Amino acid sequence: MKYIFKRIGLLLITMILVSFLTFLAFEIVSGDPVRNMLGTDASPAQIEALRQELGLDKPFLSRYVSWLLGFFSGDLGRSFSYKQPVWELISSKLVITLALSLISFALIILVSIPLGVFSYQWVGGPLDGVRTAFNQLCMAVPPFFTGILLSWTFGVILKVFTPGDFPGFAKDPGGSFVHLFFAAICLSIPRIAMTVRMMRSTIVDEMNKAYVRTAISRGNNRWSVLTRHVLKNSLVLVVTFLGQTLAELVAASIVVEQVLGIPGLGRFLVASISHRDYPVVQAIVVILAFWVVLAGTISDIVNRRIDPRLRLGGEDE
Amino acid sequence: MTEENNNLVLEVKHVSAGYKRGGFFGYGQKYKEVIHDVDFVVHYGEILGLVGESGTGKSTLAKTILGLMEPTKGEIVHYTKRPQMIFQDFHSSLNPAYSAWWSVEEPLRIFGKYDAEERERRVREMLTRVGLQEEFFASKPDELSGGQKQRVNIAAALIRRPRFIIADEPVSALDVTIQAQILKLLKQLRNELDLSYLFISHDLNVVYQLCDRVLVMKDGRIVEQGTVEEVYNNPKEEYTRNLLEASK
Repeated sequence: MKYIFKRIGLLLITMILVSFLTFLAFEIVSGDPVRNMLGTDASPAQIEALRQELGLDKPFLSRYVSWLLGFFSGDLGRSFSYKQPVWELISSKLVITLALSLISFALIILVSIPLGVFSYQWVGGPLDGVRTAFNQLCMAVPPFFTGILLSWTFGVILKVFTPGDFPGFAKDPGGSFVHLFFAAICLSIPRIAMTVRMMRSTIVDEMNKAYVRTAISRGNNRWSVLTRHVLKNSLVLVVTFLGQTLAELVAASIVVEQVLGIPGLGRFLVASISHRDYPVVQAIVVILAFWVVLAGTISDIVNRRIDPRLRLGGEDE
Repeated sequence: MTEENNNLVLEVKHVSAGYKRGGFFGYGQKYKEVIHDVDFVVHYGEILGLVGESGTGKSTLAKTILGLMEPTKGEIVHYTKRPQMIFQDFHSSLNPAYSAWWSVEEPLRIFGKYDAEERERRVREMLTRVGLQEEFFASKPDELSGGQKQRVNIAAALIRRPRFIIADEPVSALDVTIQAQILKLLKQLRNELDLSYLFISHDLNVVYQLCDRVLVMKDGRIVEQGTVEEVYNNPKEEYTRNLLEASK
């Protein structure tokens, strides 16, 4: 219980801190949303009127506090450019980005854990060097490049999906899924490579430990040592790494959403930053911060289930 | 089992063994021989000590006898089934993720011959026999003391009722008082369960307390062997005299 409160507290502090820093960043950075909205021929009176209407004439701290109070009462404010409540604007995009991240994450887990175990089985084999080189290549290839490659192959030539024309979940769930699936492949390839590499080295370390030798002397074979003894101990590091990955995926999806034309949160964030649409940026950044802390919490909880030693740290569950 | 050998549990016939080291992509590995032409027997019911300084190949010999390593020359003949080993590093020998009970039960699960009820009976009996209190049965290695962990290791080694045990420095990492308790336990288990031991140690005092016969190993060779009294009271080799001198 104490643990959960601690985590919720951490979450709140992180979100407040991140939102404050974003607010501050826009205060410092050049660019004026009002001028952006009204164009260059606006009269000073018009500018002043809009400034008052948007509340931009008030001092920095009072604006921040009123935003914060609004946020905690469930009001994310209104977008400057679209004149709509922020939540209405971002909720559908949030679903798309969330779906993209979760599909990528599922791909990473489903592919990298078995592959990590097999890559250990191949350690020292004749093709080990080749596999390591391939792994490095996969790690190095940026998602936008894979994105271009995949949209050309599967979009332009094979016509499995239409790049840039995301159908939307309401209209065509299957098509949307296929679209997101290809984006997820781009996102997950480097991270699968990293996870496999990490699992491999963790398993190698773990296999050299004394309990493995003892387990073999008590009648285990290599496979049962791997599955019953080593995997459980190796997973702690891997889960922590996957937690970070889950957090990064949302940020990484910004680029891939641009390349494959997916109307997700990332694309919207980039557009809103250039329009100086503060309320939208603010909301998205806080949601991302929430996501990052949540991912950390999830990996921590999973690790506590796997490894009881982590629970001995003086905290009750 | 031949007629003349039925009082033996182990015969090590002119065995040499070593490690492969280095190499690149599996090529160019160098072979380094660690034990050379080792030849001895272990009799039924005896505790045979193996002494020597660290780095003389005692553990390599133990692993070779147990089949964790292949001998490059010679032959190892076991006259008992399922010989087992007790290791020095009692802490890291246990998987930190599992309880004492789990570690002791595991060999029976792998063996697969007993149902859950029979396994439970045997594990309980063995853990009690090695002197672990019931309240620690479900404890993880991190929650046990050194002596308790070594008791768990001994129970795991004995759970499938081997007749021959290789104990590789089983007490050298323990406090002196705990050492005495574990040595007493090993002796008691030998009588109760009809065991024979190959007891490896660099500590001659411990060997003197426990063993019937002793082998002295130096640089991968057996340089002297005999009953404990013979070797201790009348060492033939300079090396043995130095070892005895050092342990006084």
